Amino acid sequence: MSPDHPSVPAPAAHRIALLLAKHGEELARHIRRIVRDDDTAQDLLQETMLRAWKAVARLTEGSNERAWLYRIATNASLNHQRARSRERAALARHAAELAANTDHPDGATGEERDRAGLWAEVARLPERQRLALSLRVADELDYEEIAARIGGTAEAARANVYQATRRLKMKVRGA
Amino acid sequence: MSGITAQEREAVERIVRGAFGALTGRGGEPLRYAMMDDTPVGVLGLAAGRRGLRHLSFVRGEDDFLERLLAEHGEVAVLKSSELDDVRRALDRYFAGKRLDFDLAVDLGDLAPFHQRVLDATAKVPAGRVATYTQIAARAGSPKASRAAGNALHNNPVAIVVPCHRVLRTDGSLGGYGGGLPVKEWLLRHEGALL
Repeated sequence: MSPDHPSVPAPAAHRIALLLAKHGEELARHIRRIVRDDDTAQDLLQETMLRAWKAVARLTEGSNERAWLYRIATNASLNHQRARSRERAALARHAAELAANTDHPDGATGEERDRAGLWAEVARLPERQRLALSLRVADELDYEEIAARIGGTAEAARANVYQATRRLKMKVRGA
Repeated sequence: MSGITAQEREAVERIVRGAFGALTGRGGEPLRYAMMDDTPVGVLGLAAGRRGLRHLSFVRGEDDFLERLLAEHGEVAVLKSSELDDVRRALDRYFAGKRLDFDLAVDLGDLAPFHQRVLDATAKVPAGRVATYTQIAARAGSPKASRAAGNALHNNPVAIVVPCHRVLRTDGSLGGYGGGLPVKEWLLRHEGALL
């Protein structure tokens, strides 16, 4: 046992390391049941542990730390799911508007078909474009605010939204 | 988040990444642990990696055991797990006197070669029998190193399963034991090596 082992956590992280060791496996399983995606679940477990850290001083001796962590994890996961479904709804509306407002080469209406195809196309957008578009249409942020959240400049954010919209329009036109 | 420095935040991210990587098989080898709270010899902490059992320790409780594991292995991939049920069942059978020898994979790969040889020699002493520090040193290839063999046994990470309690002084006295001499005596009586 070397006291200066590089991976020994800073004292403040120590309590969290103990909590994570004891409950990390079941919490990860719990979160994955809600969000069904490993990357998202990992982010949410991280958020759960950071929230736990902030509140750990209020966790008194003898209180049920396991139930407490489960509550934090559940809230974080459900908040995420709610935000995600708001985002999906806004993107779906956006896609529907695009489909309605874009001229079709064959003059067909086929709005339902477009919407499904567009939705798949949204999922295929590069992560940064999808994020920028989502912040624009779901959260109605301006480009400065989008840049502040995803990094880069306002111009880059505008370009990402533009590229995303262009790809979706091309999809409607069958290009 | 207020009250949390960037450094601390980074530490949490590292812990979560490591633990989650272990869970999803994307990270390094996890060290899984479990507790046995009421055995005839007190509280035991068990920990195993993919290649086998790495720790069987006499501890004061879960936090005590975890502190030791984290200090020795870092916090990255130490996780409580139900996957050690086979080890717990084997120990239950041992304590019930139904089966006194163990057929469990043990991983001593982190130890120095002599340390490993001493423990390998010790693992071959069957229940109900004893050996001396000198005999174990000889079987480990260094007949004159009985004191070093004693030290190696005192630092046996896998107590009971690697039966260092079966090793005594040449004069027949018990010698030492990490779990305390009353425990060593209990184990030897339980196995029928002491009357």
